[in-house]
Amino acid sequence: MILTDKKLTKKDLRSIFWRGFALQGGFNYEKMQNIGYAYAMEPAIKRLYSNTKDRAAALKRHLALFNCTPAMTPMIMGISSAMEEQYANNPSAIDPDSINSVKAALMAPFSGIGDSILFGTFRVIAAGIGASFAKQGSILGPILFFVLYNLPATLIRIFGLKYGYKWGVESLDEVQKNGVMDQIMQIVGIIGMMVVGGMVATMLPVVTPLKFSMTGATVKLQTIFDQIMPKLLPLLTTLLVFCLIRKKVSVSKLTIGVLILGILLHVIGIL
Amino acid sequence: MVQALLIGLIAGIGILDERVLGATLFGRPIVLSVFVGLALGDIKQGIIIGAQLELIWMGIAGIGVSTPPDYVTGGVIGTALAIISHKGIGIALTIAVPVAVLAANLGTLVRVVNLWFSHKADKYAETANFRGINLMLLSTTILFFLSAFIPTFLAMLLGASKINLIINAIPKVILDGLTVAGNLLPSVGFALLLDMLFSKKLFVFFFLGFLLCAYLKLDITGIAVLAICMAIIIVLFGNNGKKPNGKDETKSEKTEDNLTEGAIDFD
Repeated sequence: MILTDKKLTKKDLRSIFWRGFALQGGFNYEKMQNIGYAYAMEPAIKRLYSNTKDRAAALKRHLALFNCTPAMTPMIMGISSAMEEQYANNPSAIDPDSINSVKAALMAPFSGIGDSILFGTFRVIAAGIGASFAKQGSILGPILFFVLYNLPATLIRIFGLKYGYKWGVESLDEVQKNGVMDQIMQIVGIIGMMVVGGMVATMLPVVTPLKFSMTGATVKLQTIFDQIMPKLLPLLTTLLVFCLIRKKVSVSKLTIGVLILGILLHVIGIL
Repeated sequence: MVQALLIGLIAGIGILDERVLGATLFGRPIVLSVFVGLALGDIKQGIIIGAQLELIWMGIAGIGVSTPPDYVTGGVIGTALAIISHKGIGIALTIAVPVAVLAANLGTLVRVVNLWFSHKADKYAETANFRGINLMLLSTTILFFLSAFIPTFLAMLLGASKINLIINAIPKVILDGLTVAGNLLPSVGFALLLDMLFSKKLFVFFFLGFLLCAYLKLDITGIAVLAICMAIIIVLFGNNGKKPNGKDETKSEKTEDNLTEGAIDFD
């Protein structure tokens, strides 16, 4: 057995980083992001394997089904690169199939973490702040939205790839061991929830023009609602739609349904 | 014609954001509508419409089995036609929401057609043909581009001249109703986010955020900063001493939590 010392260069890793952006370009219903993943791994495969047989085997490995939050994927690519490097240098050290089983094992938890951090928190904060400026027609809105989201998202990409490659499979034990991940998940959950609550109160102008006469005086229904609790109608509307989503009504049906219902309620004078 | 091409290009490039440009979210309506406004000479209106569309679709992250609405095509066409007709945000939403639902079918079609390219990529892999695989990625990318470019271009070419005729035929009460419906629609976005973040233990924070804004009139920036501080305080200082207990709780909760199930289809 000849042990070699092949190593990915900084340039290879940088190339993997940029190629990682194209992850979803070949999205299909069978293997999802497989083409994009293989495309990103090409620099590593080219560097580590010199003959066609090994390169073909590696390409096939990375053309297997893959589906994960795009910004979380560079970390998995880093781990894959580290494992490929290990395998290329010493084929008896690891089973090549384990490279793919690690990928498969990481997809779901990484998507879960990525969704709640990126979509559940960063994007919610970015959209909430961005939209509150943009509603006034200020260009600051879209700019803040873009920057507030992409700053953390890009850092996750950069450091994910770096530490994924540096620590290999061990990086995961590192993260899970001390419960830091649980704490982060709790933090982002709380922030996301609070910001959504705030948006319901500030960005959902639902008011009723209904009036009725009581012993001669006209009473506005909205005034009564405001006395019970300010922004009561926006809250109830959101909770109602939330219940429907929990009942698995599709997004398309919901948006079209709310659109039609809004027109009808206005025509009969309730909203 | 030039205008239609330009708007079509904006949609085409916008849809590539989540495909090959790294999901940096410049394809979201709040950003893309700025460019639509710029192309049509009313950037302010573009920004305002984009903000409202963003709120409606902010919960969309391709969760679950149903195809999510195509906010790129829907958003661009809705914003563009609303700016051309000078009829404002109600019209934008009325066009954007159904168009997004329809356009999603095109996206589905491309993802099915892509199966063929995926199989071809497997073939190229057998001979370690890197260029072949790159070519497959490029082809699918072009398909995605066209899936947004063609409908947007056609809608602009055919719709731009007739949109005023159509809108003027709609009675005023319905037009006002559209504005009301537009105000109501972000509730879908908020509810989708709640669904994504849902866990019984955290639901109280939704009400806390709501109450702080409703009674104390905090704005979103204020609530975001406050939430960050509070969350860190609670997690760092609140969990001390009762870790084993807390751990069991989170475990039993995981079954109801969308996020930890990994049931999310990323696209």
